[in-house]
Amino acid sequence: MGRNPLHTKLCDMLGIDFPIIAFTHCKDVVAAVVNAGGFAVLGEAMHTADDIAADIKWIRSRVGDKPFGIDLVLPASAPDADDLATLLSKIPDEHKKFAAYIKEKYNVPDPKGAQALHQWGGLNQDIARKQLDVILEERVPVFVSGLGSPAFMLKAAHERGMKVFGLIGKARQAKREIEAGVDVIIAQGYDAAGHTGPIGTFSIVPEVVALAGDTPVVAAGGVTTGRHLAASICLGAAGVWTGTLWLASRESDNDMIIKEKLVAATADDTVYSKSVSGFAMRVLKCPWTEEWATNAAPRVLNSPYQMLLSSDYIQGANDHRRADLMFEAAGQGVSFIDSMKPAKQIVNDMVEEALSVFEEITGESADA
Amino acid sequence: MADAPIPRIPGFDAARAGKHAECDGGGAIAGTRYGAREDFAGTLTGEYVDHGDPPWRWYLLKNLDRRPDGYPGDAVWCLAENLFVDGED
Repeated sequence: MGRNPLHTKLCDMLGIDFPIIAFTHCKDVVAAVVNAGGFAVLGEAMHTADDIAADIKWIRSRVGDKPFGIDLVLPASAPDADDLATLLSKIPDEHKKFAAYIKEKYNVPDPKGAQALHQWGGLNQDIARKQLDVILEERVPVFVSGLGSPAFMLKAAHERGMKVFGLIGKARQAKREIEAGVDVIIAQGYDAAGHTGPIGTFSIVPEVVALAGDTPVVAAGGVTTGRHLAASICLGAAGVWTGTLWLASRESDNDMIIKEKLVAATADDTVYSKSVSGFAMRVLKCPWTEEWATNAAPRVLNSPYQMLLSSDYIQGANDHRRADLMFEAAGQGVSFIDSMKPAKQIVNDMVEEALSVFEEITGESADA
Repeated sequence: MADAPIPRIPGFDAARAGKHAECDGGGAIAGTRYGAREDFAGTLTGEYVDHGDPPWRWYLLKNLDRRPDGYPGDAVWCLAENLFVDGED
């Protein structure tokens, strides 16, 4: 086959063996994937600056000099915020009654403690800026902005020897960030878990590749198998960004109930719903999302009001580990999550399958 | 980690005041580890705020003619690099 098709410019840039990026909220998964020859990024959106510093230290103790990344959901827009009491007072009675109806119908237990949401002041520019400052101070090898453009901090990051990745959902945002000088663009399609762009993975990846020039493009959204990896390379991507793939891994700290749900789920068990937060996001279906999709449901509220409504359900379900109520963000690639494998095996299986796909196409063998 | 607030320096960009713009917005969802995208369009007032150093610039968009269903209010602060101003791109 000639050169190894899985050895891309992303591998050269990061000094990794395989162009597989794991996005995870679990430090153990980060360490396992990095030590298996891939690359991993820890999502720290809800963590304090002190927590982030501690996590960075922990990861470094496990992976040594190997590179890893930290992701923040830098905001891109921000309304003026009310205090909690004012916010709660603005929720219409019709919506409160519908949430109470769901709680009674499914016997949703009360949360065991104060709802975490009610202790959270909201992610404003001040909090995000402090999170970012610790990442710069620690000179984390890669910073990933999961939403807002990181252009303003590129110079500071590059001066510290860091790389900066931007995750986008529209081509025009990719163009803007590439022109600003991001090191890698992650083009995320509609198949993804959580917040996604409106465009499918198969469309947005080549569209961004066409305008990216020498900037590596990483494909995201629904990527869970070696066949997806091979397809992404064929679309012009230099690697893949994977999230759902790791949620049920052996190292993941997700609740076993959620892992079992993920293993059992197919793409049809996910839903792109605003009912959880008021923002459209892809999650596993659950009674809450299904009830809000019925004709009897009032129109979903915007953020943060819908989140204030759903937080009682979410925390009650999680605190009491109610398998019938719990859910998790999951992409459409969840169909291919069929067991709880160690992260290293996931990496190896993905690489092996991708190489076999290229062999099918070319008739020639390749070694990773 | 210092708890002092990040410096906020307000300013006014007369060249952009009154221009129509689109914002590819969004942010983290409070109380969760998720983020979300939101699109807005409206008129720039020209007001901006720089947060911290290096400056992280945000512009005020008002008279919104595109906003998510149920969005409260008629104004939004938008990150400069996520703002697409008519006639500039």
